[in-house]
Amino acid sequence: MTWIISLGAILVLVILYMIFKIGNLVGLVKGKKEEEFSISWNNANAIMFMIFMVVGLGGFFWYSYAHFDEYTLPVASIHGEVTDSLFWITMWVTVVAFAIIFVVMFWFTFAYKYEKGRKAAYFADNHKLEILWTVVPAIVLALLVFRGLRVWHEITGPASKEAVVVEMVGQQWLWMARYPGVKDKTLGHHNYKLIDASNEFGLDLTDKNSYDDFKSLELHIPVGQEILMKIRAKDVLHSVFLPHFRVKMDAVPGVQTHFKFTATKTTAQMREELNNPAFNYEMACTEVCGKGHFSMKFPVVVDTQEDYQEWLESQESWLKQNPDYLKYVPAELKEAAMIKAGIPLDNTVTVQTAAIK
Amino acid sequence: MATIDVHPQTATHHHDEHGDDHAHHGNFWTTYIFSEDHKVIAKQFLFTGMAWALIGGMLSVLFRLQLGFPEANLGWLKPILGGWLTPEGKIDPEFYLALVTMHGTIMVFFVLTAGLSGTFSNFLIPLQIGARDMASGFMNMLSYWFFFLSSAIMFISLFISTGPAAGGWVIYPPLSALPQAISGSGLGMTLWLVSMALFIVSSLLGSINYITTVINMRTLGMSFTKLPLTIWAFFLTAIIGILSFPVLFAAALLLIFDRSFGTSFYLSDIYIGGEALPNQGGSPILFQHLFWFLGHPEVYIVLLPALGITSEIIATNSRKPIFGYKAMVGSMLFIAILSFVVWAHHMFVTGMNPFLGSIFTLLTLIIAVPSAVKIFNYVTTLWKGNIRFTPAMLFSIGLVSFFLTGGITGIFLGNSAVDIQLHDTYFVVAHFHLVMGSASFFGMMAGVYHWFPKMFGRMMDEKLGYLHFWLTFIGVYLVFFPMHYIGIAGFPRRYYTWTAFETFSGFADLNMLVSVAAIITMVAQFIFLFNFIYNIFRGKLAPANPWNATTLEWTTPRLPGHGNWVGEIPTVYRWPYDYSKPGSKEDFIPQHIPYSETPESNLPHENDEIKLEMGGAGAIVVEERKH
Amino acid sequence: MSEAVDFKIVEEPKRPMAMNPKKFGMWLFMASVLMLFISLTSAYIVRQAEGNWLFFDLPTIFVVSTAIIVVSSVTMQLAFWSARKDDVERVKVMVLLTAILGLAFVISQYLGWKDLVARSVYLVGNPSGSFLYIITGLHAIHLVSAVVFLLFVLYSSFRNKVNSKNTVQIEICTTYWHFLGVLWVYLYVFLTLLR
Repeated sequence: MTWIISLGAILVLVILYMIFKIGNLVGLVKGKKEEEFSISWNNANAIMFMIFMVVGLGGFFWYSYAHFDEYTLPVASIHGEVTDSLFWITMWVTVVAFAIIFVVMFWFTFAYKYEKGRKAAYFADNHKLEILWTVVPAIVLALLVFRGLRVWHEITGPASKEAVVVEMVGQQWLWMARYPGVKDKTLGHHNYKLIDASNEFGLDLTDKNSYDDFKSLELHIPVGQEILMKIRAKDVLHSVFLPHFRVKMDAVPGVQTHFKFTATKTTAQMREELNNPAFNYEMACTEVCGKGHFSMKFPVVVDTQEDYQEWLESQESWLKQNPDYLKYVPAELKEAAMIKAGIPLDNTVTVQTAAIK
Repeated sequence: MATIDVHPQTATHHHDEHGDDHAHHGNFWTTYIFSEDHKVIAKQFLFTGMAWALIGGMLSVLFRLQLGFPEANLGWLKPILGGWLTPEGKIDPEFYLALVTMHGTIMVFFVLTAGLSGTFSNFLIPLQIGARDMASGFMNMLSYWFFFLSSAIMFISLFISTGPAAGGWVIYPPLSALPQAISGSGLGMTLWLVSMALFIVSSLLGSINYITTVINMRTLGMSFTKLPLTIWAFFLTAIIGILSFPVLFAAALLLIFDRSFGTSFYLSDIYIGGEALPNQGGSPILFQHLFWFLGHPEVYIVLLPALGITSEIIATNSRKPIFGYKAMVGSMLFIAILSFVVWAHHMFVTGMNPFLGSIFTLLTLIIAVPSAVKIFNYVTTLWKGNIRFTPAMLFSIGLVSFFLTGGITGIFLGNSAVDIQLHDTYFVVAHFHLVMGSASFFGMMAGVYHWFPKMFGRMMDEKLGYLHFWLTFIGVYLVFFPMHYIGIAGFPRRYYTWTAFETFSGFADLNMLVSVAAIITMVAQFIFLFNFIYNIFRGKLAPANPWNATTLEWTTPRLPGHGNWVGEIPTVYRWPYDYSKPGSKEDFIPQHIPYSETPESNLPHENDEIKLEMGGAGAIVVEERKH
Repeated sequence: MSEAVDFKIVEEPKRPMAMNPKKFGMWLFMASVLMLFISLTSAYIVRQAEGNWLFFDLPTIFVVSTAIIVVSSVTMQLAFWSARKDDVERVKVMVLLTAILGLAFVISQYLGWKDLVARSVYLVGNPSGSFLYIITGLHAIHLVSAVVFLLFVLYSSFRNKVNSKNTVQIEICTTYWHFLGVLWVYLYVFLTLLR
């Protein structure tokens, strides 16, 4: 394959070079008398513009129509439906404007191509016309902007108190999700200085909210319920991108960002709709973050509310998975921590705690 | 780099043999290398810019090979790329990012800022305003040599073992600040920063010179309302440059301190490579604000000169006055001002204050209005013209077409709510490559074709120009138009491959089409290169005014010598767009022809000026002082 | 170069604007320097608004610096006036004095830095300290460049090239010097108010 390409490229080069040579030789043979402006080439260029216009515009419309389903990503969030509609409104407005100007411009190049003896119009300005095409785009843009700003205001507004909170943490080159746990429903504090090989979140175990937090390598979210995604990064910039939910927000080290959205279709519903039993929601990174930028995939599952609840309860807390870290829990909170984390209280631990006291 | 610099010497040397009667005696070094003549400096910028364009283009072909043919074995590139190929003959993912970064940096700064603005501002400002040279030839020379030094350093950074900068041309920290994060952020990034610091110095020296020259050195009668639109464009570009480049300098300076001296302007709470860094309290977003405060005006630094050049060429070759001269100047002025207050539209999803997002959406969409006005004015200039399709004219029409196609997608991206999905996808790539990259590149090409006769005293081959145009024009559309679809489908930019995702794994065919088109477009540039170099030496001798244009540069000899005009500098009496004036025999009246000589074509208010003309040069000055 | 000759062909007084290109160039250069400091002070404000900001008092010696630079502006202006009155000897004295005051300013700034270090405010650490060092340091570098310029003026004055007929060089230098003085006053007020 590559050989064919490279060979092809070389061949093209050679052919082009021959064309220059021949063209130049012909020019030399004809001599320098032929200095007259070449009307036939001028017409050829004008015709080329017409061909370009027809084929280009035709190809654009044909491809857009014929392959519509390939490039329109199904949408699965409430605000996504709104921004999509705004996108398509903008698309219609701009395509109409584009097509008109495109056709008019190339038509002019053809219609007013050089003719010997014709004199161009001395048409230097026309204030009415200029005001017209300043005001009309301004009004159209204003309408688009105001609609856009309303939507933007809703999307970036504060999340409701009942929203399901999930924390996404980006690092080179993977995502991690942290859930606040079923008992306190609050994310525990974190501190980047506490991060180590096991404590990947930098969980601060002096905060009692952290005991039932759990890590997940799959983003599970319930359908029809508002999600508040809190986002941070450990090393460099990353960006959460959930293409089907029209969600995108940078992950910034040292700053917490967030995005709220509501999923409208479970994974199962989407599979059915797309007639693709292998379909999965995905999350990607859209801010360049180094070598593995292209591979920061994180699976996303939208459950029904019941399935989600079931999944939540089946998860083990981070502290339970890493009982060694109990030593960082202040002694007076140890018991509470073990209960919250779901670690069975056995004698040895209580004895140790007592000894420390 | 050495090969590049041979050209200007040989080129200009050649001309001097052909009767440059304007005596200027200097030795070889002061005439061709450390020249203070604006025309030589312009050519130096042009040749260096073209060399960079080739390098930048080649880099893009390399990463297009990876994207279009992910399965291909690129082992045959081993002699060039060496260790940057994986054992399986694939481009290394980190090198891929380096390619993308260097492509962006080279094209934006070295080709479309220095190569375009440096070439044509230097060449045209003195010639079109009627000056012997720039205000300070010495500063002008320094400007080029700072640029050369900056180029040399950037070029060297391509070959160091840890690779060139690889964090994207926007060099967002922390990625660009931490060598642990990507190897390009080691020495490569240091060289990038040093090179850009020198580049900024070069750009400031140039801009100061351009503005000073335009304001102080215009010939008699050349009031601001009689300036060609090219000069307006260069003038405004230089102002934008003076105000925005220092901000990039500040951003880079703080980054240098973060990288080398341990400060925490942009760094905070970072755990990388198994250790927590001590930096706390910095904000990566701060860098983005500073960067885009330059970065967005930079878009217009790149675009305005191209628009100016196009205005001139479209009017000349339509044989019509440019439609709405005042509206054109006004819209450029408006764009220049607004370019400073829209920067944060690059940052809608960085988590910045949503209210700020609303403000920037509003301001961003306002900037679309003057841009639309410019397009309408170009189209109206074509209307009822008598259009001659010189290669320069073809490229200018191509520019308007790209400006339209790419500009219109800006309406999507400027709207913050719609931008959420499109941000950092191929939709953005398509948008800015058309509206800024290709449009400005076409402006540059148009300028080269149009002013080649004045630069080198010879003509380029028109037919090769047509071939070059059509291959490039269609090629560019085939490269960037499909990217809109890919972007709407959500494909993120700067991805080495999309196969890791089910959502993004489609469109292999479109990507292949894009890559093939990119290669063809790249190959087509060699037609130009051949046409250009060959005709510097062998081209048909050019007449002094081959396009029957009105501006002052065409009143100079075939190959203007040092000082540009033999004898006195012409005085200017009329605006630069008296094409096809009713009543006049010719279809153009140059700027230096007084109204008193053209009674048959004067408009009523112009007849009034004859009285002033009769009063001598002093009368003109009275009129001028108003400006 | 023959450049100078070329310029005389065009009659200067009839130019639409009569400003000397070099003077004008200096104004543009000052505009870009101003942008540099505006962007740094803006970054300072933006960063400060984000919290986690170390508060400390400015070194008291900055008051002395400010006084020095104000006095140096006066001596600079006197030098310029003397040049216009052809008082060449006084030009030399005043230019030299200004240069010395300039160096004194830089030394005073350096003492200010030492004071900061003594109070454990370092370049590396909280950005509030880093900003202070960078802003004052950049200003000091520009001031040093102005002192170098002054030395050129001094050299010209010894070669009898600064007098009522040749004021361009000293005028540009005076403008630059005043600019840096005003810039410092702005920075000092800014840094005092936005602690």
